[in-house]
Amino acid sequence: MDELYLDNIDEYVNDHNKIVTYKWLSLTLGVHVNAAKQMLYHYLDHKRKESSAQLHATYLVSGKFVDNGQTSHKVSVVREEQLEDFKAKMSLVVSVHVYSVQKALLKDSGPLYAVDYDAVKDNLKNCSRYSAIRCASAVPMSSVELQQAREVQQAPTPEPENKKAGMNGDTSPVLKSSAKPPKGIMGMFANKSAPKSQDNSKEMKPEKKEDAHDIEAPKSKPVAKVNPVANFFGTQTSKKPEKTVKEEEAPQSSSRAAQQHERSKPEEKQETVAPVEPQKDTKKDSRSKTKRLEDSDGEEEKMEKKKRRRIKKPEPDSSDEDVIPDSPQPVVTREPSSPSPKKEVEPDRHSHPSSSEMKIRKRRRVMKSHTFVDDDGCMVTEKGYVSESYSESEDDFKPSKQASRDPIKAKPSSSSKEDEKKTQKKASANSNKGTKQASIMGFFQKK
Amino acid sequence: MTTLTRQDLNFGQVVADILCEFLEVAIHLILYVREVYPSGIFQKRKKYNVPVQMSCHPELNQYIQDTLHCIKPLIEKNDAEKVVVVIMDKEHHPVERFVFEISQPPLLSISSDTLLSHVEQLLRAFILKISVCDAVLNSNPPGCSFTVLVHTRDAATRNMEKVQVIKDFPWIVADEQEVHMQEPRLIPLKTMTSDIVKMQLYVEERAQKT
Repeated sequence: MDELYLDNIDEYVNDHNKIVTYKWLSLTLGVHVNAAKQMLYHYLDHKRKESSAQLHATYLVSGKFVDNGQTSHKVSVVREEQLEDFKAKMSLVVSVHVYSVQKALLKDSGPLYAVDYDAVKDNLKNCSRYSAIRCASAVPMSSVELQQAREVQQAPTPEPENKKAGMNGDTSPVLKSSAKPPKGIMGMFANKSAPKSQDNSKEMKPEKKEDAHDIEAPKSKPVAKVNPVANFFGTQTSKKPEKTVKEEEAPQSSSRAAQQHERSKPEEKQETVAPVEPQKDTKKDSRSKTKRLEDSDGEEEKMEKKKRRRIKKPEPDSSDEDVIPDSPQPVVTREPSSPSPKKEVEPDRHSHPSSSEMKIRKRRRVMKSHTFVDDDGCMVTEKGYVSESYSESEDDFKPSKQASRDPIKAKPSSSSKEDEKKTQKKASANSNKGTKQASIMGFFQKK
Repeated sequence: MTTLTRQDLNFGQVVADILCEFLEVAIHLILYVREVYPSGIFQKRKKYNVPVQMSCHPELNQYIQDTLHCIKPLIEKNDAEKVVVVIMDKEHHPVERFVFEISQPPLLSISSDTLLSHVEQLLRAFILKISVCDAVLNSNPPGCSFTVLVHTRDAATRNMEKVQVIKDFPWIVADEQEVHMQEPRLIPLKTMTSDIVKMQLYVEERAQKT
């Protein structure tokens, strides 16, 4: 093996100030991973002998670990200083090799993952080209098999999520130093119990790291004191668009239980808001419905009273113009009420006449088509909902009112407006149909 | 494939959003790596598909968010020339300055579908560089604080003073003492060039920190 690789690594580490992991090196130089590991080891050895620049290294240790009688296989990335310590704790060391070499002292394991991310992404299809792990039956699926697998996968996705959570709990990572200070400082922010101090540990597999990180993050997050309502509508753009469904599914129970638990992540807040809002909406709907019925009941009484008023008023109207402005008012107040509780009014109306007959006056909305010849000699057909008074005691009143009311009430649907204006002079006071133009009628009546 | 120009306000906002998100992550990371605050308040979070350290302290987070909220309109209009994160010692003399030089091409055109993923990759590289920057920098004295300065083009700050973007969060013209650093040493960290933004990150460090 020629010695050029030493210069290459030297260039990456010292000149570019990169973190050189064995995986990145193997993909960059196109060598088998085991060769890359040896290269790093030689380089480190060489530099340490020269004792030139200060270099830091991380190692990957895997082996058997006995914990309370339970034996587990542990794979960890550890700092050089902790290597011997860690090896001593293990019952059997299966493999130790250099994981990365860098100039900077890394405070946490995040950059190690970031280094490999892009390298693997660029070589996604053949990232295991130089890998030592081989499986003959691991062959990419054909597109047909892929589709089938996707359909099957959609059903049992919740189950594997729970399994993963279980897995992470079993493989308890090695706790590094400074486990206590985070608890103390985090405890200042958190209302709930202090988070697990697993953040400081380094785990080998990047995927596992990410899963653990995803699931741990919501548990270990302290309560933010910021107003949650403000955050719902705040300008925080989604910082974690990649925050996967995994995370949202896992803490669902916790998010529902602790709706007051203030979370700083907008997405999760939206999640909590979403289940809360439908509940509120249903409550509101039920409330509004009950209100409507109450209102309609109240309106019936109002209408009756106004009816009585109107009957009395037309007599002074014809003689006295000052009284006229008053007449639109009962009409105006009716307008908004009449269109809305159509359906509630009708069944009520229909039910009432059977019970009360003589004294109670009712109004009923009926679709009527009325054809008549107006003053100009034109045939006008007007259709529309006509609220006609319905009462047996007032039968003789009906026809006269109907004839005068129809043109006014059918105004919204009619085409000729001039005719209506003329006829309104006499009938505006009687008009109990709720249209906004009734108020305009009063305006023209002053002529 | 769409061609959008700067006149398209939505696009300007998109770029400003991307940059402000990145600056927020970068500021948190600088505070973590340079040990301005104890590492206990930081928590691992994910951004651009890699783990980053973000602070959990609510007031600190609010301060950083308010700062960037005020900077965003300047970036939208391409008025912000440099955004500087200054780390100062106890006497409020700057010790380190992380300078983000931002420039946006006047006529932007998105001609690639993979533009945003490319930008994400470049920003990821920035994050990585900040993580390892302590190899090239001397350690800071204890008891440091930080502040954010914005160098604007022309007189854009006049508009800022007129319109208080966030109530009770005023911006003032920086003192000479905070801007000027004695015997600065320049260490370039990273440069990126993309269709929508050009950014350069370098550190000015005082030769003698203690």
